[in-house]
Amino acid sequence: MNVHVAPRYAAPSESGPAVIVSNLVRRYGSRVVIEKLNLRIERGEFVALLGESGCGKTTLLRALAGLDPVQGGRIVAPRRPAVVFQEHRLLPWDNLWRNVALGLQAQDARERAAEALTEVGLGDRLDDWPRNLSGGQAQRVALARALVQQPELLLLDEPFAALDALTRIRMHELVRELVTNHQPGVLLVTHDVDEAIALADRILVMRDGAIAFEHRAARDGSASISRAELLGELGVISHSPN
Amino acid sequence: MSNIELSQIERTVIGADGGLPSQSSDTSLASASRLGARGLLLLSWLAPVLLVIVWEALAQAGWLSPQVLPAPSKVIRTAFKLVTTGTLLNDLGVSLLRAAAGFALGAAVGAAFGILVGFSRIAEATIDRSVQMIRAIPFLASLPLVIVWLGVGEAEKIFLVALGVTFPIYINTVLGIRQVDPKLLELGRVQGLSSIQLISRIILPGALPSILTGVRYALATAWLALVVAETIGAQSGIGFLAMDAREFLRTDVIILTIVIYALIGIAADAIARLLERRLLAWHPNYGAAR
Repeated sequence: MNVHVAPRYAAPSESGPAVIVSNLVRRYGSRVVIEKLNLRIERGEFVALLGESGCGKTTLLRALAGLDPVQGGRIVAPRRPAVVFQEHRLLPWDNLWRNVALGLQAQDARERAAEALTEVGLGDRLDDWPRNLSGGQAQRVALARALVQQPELLLLDEPFAALDALTRIRMHELVRELVTNHQPGVLLVTHDVDEAIALADRILVMRDGAIAFEHRAARDGSASISRAELLGELGVISHSPN
Repeated sequence: MSNIELSQIERTVIGADGGLPSQSSDTSLASASRLGARGLLLLSWLAPVLLVIVWEALAQAGWLSPQVLPAPSKVIRTAFKLVTTGTLLNDLGVSLLRAAAGFALGAAVGAAFGILVGFSRIAEATIDRSVQMIRAIPFLASLPLVIVWLGVGEAEKIFLVALGVTFPIYINTVLGIRQVDPKLLELGRVQGLSSIQLISRIILPGALPSILTGVRYALATAWLALVVAETIGAQSGIGFLAMDAREFLRTDVIILTIVIYALIGIAADAIARLLERRLLAWHPNYGAAR
């Protein structure tokens, strides 16, 4: 049957990349979803992954997270990555600081959770319940929970897709700030071309289980690729001048 | 009686406040609806209170034979007399002890098998079908068999209660564990939880609402089992009191035992509700979260 190659999490090294993926293959039965995919993300680098529904981008993220087995190739990451999902996935029976501290093996778990919650602007709600939060606030707690683990690789699976437009813009600012402060490598899976342009240092477009297009943003942060160009890569024909 | 009414009103008003947290900024509207709720509550007590008054009046007028239905006041006097002579409290204690022992035994067995089957598909394949087959028997129908095995003693009564408690606890434990959101389990893996942490932080808290529903249902079943077990060949307990009274046509004592069974049933349900409010404070369907 299938050869299961588990992701290998090596000991953290000071300056290595956040993750290296080589020749990754992922199949569901006879259907190949990811075909010999290669990817390298540096620490502090923000990579956005675009693609049509079903192109395998979430499958790639789940493989990197170690949630699904892969059938070939290799994933080498310094440590277990942190993940923020589209849904906040907060435990409704735990208050906010206990949610953030979930899985944290530390004596000062509460203090560290409090710090992380303060960073996302919810430092005054340590003992509140998840059900009292708005969608944006809940997603901020999910970000705090991911960052409190001090990950070298942060995987974001369409974390802002369910938020309204204004909240999403605020979340973009927050995420940029957090990534600048913590310097993890980031892989953001998204449908939103504008989001990719606004956030990423590098934009990848995935097609038929492989990376079909790559664009590196200019160092000064200005968006050097047009929306129309990216939509073209995604197979959407756009007539807008910009 | 009036004490009970007052506490009922207070509780409901508190409950209504908790149910509508800072929702209505219009205070006049809020107070009007509260007044309405209080009015409806008083109205709901009107029929039962009237019924007792009519019953008392008919009995006092001699239209009801005391052997058919003694006056409520007579039942209360009987209660006082039985308490002061000591037999009632003793019998009550014996009954409660049987219920508690049977419940503890049944709950332990039900929870143990429920956890096993909830976590392991192999355990489910091995155990579940047999349990479901036994569950199809109305557990009270097994009473003659239980008497043949254990005779008419304490063991038989405790066994019958345990039998009635085991199944609701078992079923709701399995259900609760199986209903835990797989997305939360996945999150637990992402956060690097160990198996034991997954169980203690995610699976058991997630299963708790269902388990407590099972506890509440089991309390009702336990009580039913106790009534039946005590009605047959008991030497002490509330059921024995009722059967003994039947011999001497003491209808007042029989009514008293029925009322006591009802009151303890209400008390058991109140304890189960309190547990839910305390343990499920996080849950939007229970209690006010702090």
